[in-house]
Amino acid sequence: MESLNNLMMGFGVFFTPYNIFVAVIGIFLGTIVGVLPGLGGANGVAILIPVTFMMPPTSAIILLACIYWGALFGGVITSILFNIPGEPWSVATCFDGYPMAKKGKAPQALTAAFSSHFIGAVFATVALTFLAPLIAEIALRFGPPETFSIMMLTFSAFVALGGKSPIKTLIAIFLGFAMAAVGIDIVSGKLRLTFGTTELMGGFHFIVAVIGLFGIGEILITVEEGLKMDSLPVKMSLRAMLETWKELPRYWKTLLRGAIIGCWMGFKPGGATPASFMSYGFAKQFSKDSEKFGTGIMEGVVAPEVAAHAAGVSAMVPMITLGIPGSPTAAVMLGGLMIWGLQPGPMLFKEHPEFVWGLIASIWASNAIGVIIVLAFVPLFAAILRVPFGILMPSIVFICAIGAYAVNTRMIDIWYMIIFGFVGYTFKKLDYPIAPMVLALVLGDMAETAMRQALIMGQGSPLIFFRPPFALPIMILAFIIFFWPTVSRWKQKAVKKRCKI
Amino acid sequence: MRKADVITALIILIIGIFVVYDGVRLGVIGWGASGPMSGLYPFLLGMGLIIGSLVVMGRVFISRKSMSDKPFIQKGGLRHVLYVAVPAALMVALTEFIGLYVAAGLYLALYMKWIGKHRWITVLAVSILLPLISYFVFDKYFLIPLPKGRLSGLLGF
Repeated sequence: MESLNNLMMGFGVFFTPYNIFVAVIGIFLGTIVGVLPGLGGANGVAILIPVTFMMPPTSAIILLACIYWGALFGGVITSILFNIPGEPWSVATCFDGYPMAKKGKAPQALTAAFSSHFIGAVFATVALTFLAPLIAEIALRFGPPETFSIMMLTFSAFVALGGKSPIKTLIAIFLGFAMAAVGIDIVSGKLRLTFGTTELMGGFHFIVAVIGLFGIGEILITVEEGLKMDSLPVKMSLRAMLETWKELPRYWKTLLRGAIIGCWMGFKPGGATPASFMSYGFAKQFSKDSEKFGTGIMEGVVAPEVAAHAAGVSAMVPMITLGIPGSPTAAVMLGGLMIWGLQPGPMLFKEHPEFVWGLIASIWASNAIGVIIVLAFVPLFAAILRVPFGILMPSIVFICAIGAYAVNTRMIDIWYMIIFGFVGYTFKKLDYPIAPMVLALVLGDMAETAMRQALIMGQGSPLIFFRPPFALPIMILAFIIFFWPTVSRWKQKAVKKRCKI
Repeated sequence: MRKADVITALIILIIGIFVVYDGVRLGVIGWGASGPMSGLYPFLLGMGLIIGSLVVMGRVFISRKSMSDKPFIQKGGLRHVLYVAVPAALMVALTEFIGLYVAAGLYLALYMKWIGKHRWITVLAVSILLPLISYFVFDKYFLIPLPKGRLSGLLGF
């Protein structure tokens, strides 16, 4: 009940003309960002953080969150009309979305995808509204050892879920932490890893890293592959939309299953991509016409989309309650919170309820607004990708450079951006995952402080990281998740051996 | 691909050694005034990097056949990558002298004309309008001063 009252207050915070205006702008920019190659959600949010410095924090987070939703919508447009998944979690959408568009059913596919987005978002927001305060209540009792154990859980989930090579994921995480450590040691005030240079004293800003790794790196990959943008024709009509909405309730089981999978997986970092694949796989398994999957049927679009968007929203739960982001985009937003002077974590609910509930209310409202906007302007967004690459590409590089410079107004940051671009390009080719590296860079200071404070509490004994009642089970869970892929691989091998005999 | 994998791992190994070295300089074992010595954390990270990169290299050498022998860069791909990377780096270098707006205008014009092969009218319109719009959006509206290099005194903004 208290949650409902708070939510009402949140709607009061959200429904001002300025915030609604900000939300609409955010959805528009986000969709554009999601459609363009080289500019994903994380990147769009990163470039716009300097712009939010002069906004009130609630409006600022609404803008960034809306860019996130918009980017999710944009990814749908490219995967259905262009067969190019803008984000990894849109890959499953291509399976049936593109064949559907080929059959001339692009409006139906888009309407189904956006509507399932909305359903996923609503489902996850309900969970967020009622679960988040509970988690925050528990998290209030967390000390440094517990914070550290949550970090361990986060990163072991990355090792288990993301990437092809666990060891490369580990390297990426360590690199991120090492980059975060460059500069002044927060505890002792000593200079670290600067090797006597003034350039390194300021450290690496995560926004610059995000823009370089995701933006420039992505562009380099795109030009090398010589991507051709061929859009299928699309003409939205009200009749097609109504037709789709009439058909959607038939897939209520798929929608419900996808939303639950999305909420559950999105809670863990890097969860949106496996969630979308899982939801697609389950839908295929349980569906009456499972052999039609992949040929362009609506159920195949609905299943991954509802899960991906539910996961996108539920990634916000650990971000606002524990201060641990569930996705790279959420990580960039979390960095924004810190820049605005808000300490992410359970205290946020107590100290800035208007901020938290305003944000939660905005998720409800902006997803509804977003569906209407994208449905109305799909042809416009698709037209952006038809702008010749020779114009698009240098413009994106220019915008990235502005974003990288604007964070700290340092010239060296634009150079870092270019270097990070090469790193991102190389890493992508060699299967080093970028997302956990960014997460480690954002969380580096927090992880180190937690580790050192915990060691002080335990007077040097690492046993403090395993203290009951909270740290111990979380740590055990982290270890199980970490070693799960190895164990299951052994099992498979053992089974295979037995079969041979 | 294998060569690139080994080279990348080598670079990571070197970074790891640097990080460990600096950690040792700050002190790893012991108990300072503010808890553990400030070198402990970098030391652990650096060790992680060193071990990780060694494992990656070792795996490349052990499993010779399973690694794909696909080249790191496709034929002809390198040219396209350099077409993007070199002008972009030039733009950044120029920014130090003539500011981001002018440098970006030149960069846009060069790329659109040389690689995009667009008509002059399009080239001029985009390369003048885009920096101009961003000037008004960032410098005037959001009050974020972007670098103007040596031109700031000359042109009076």
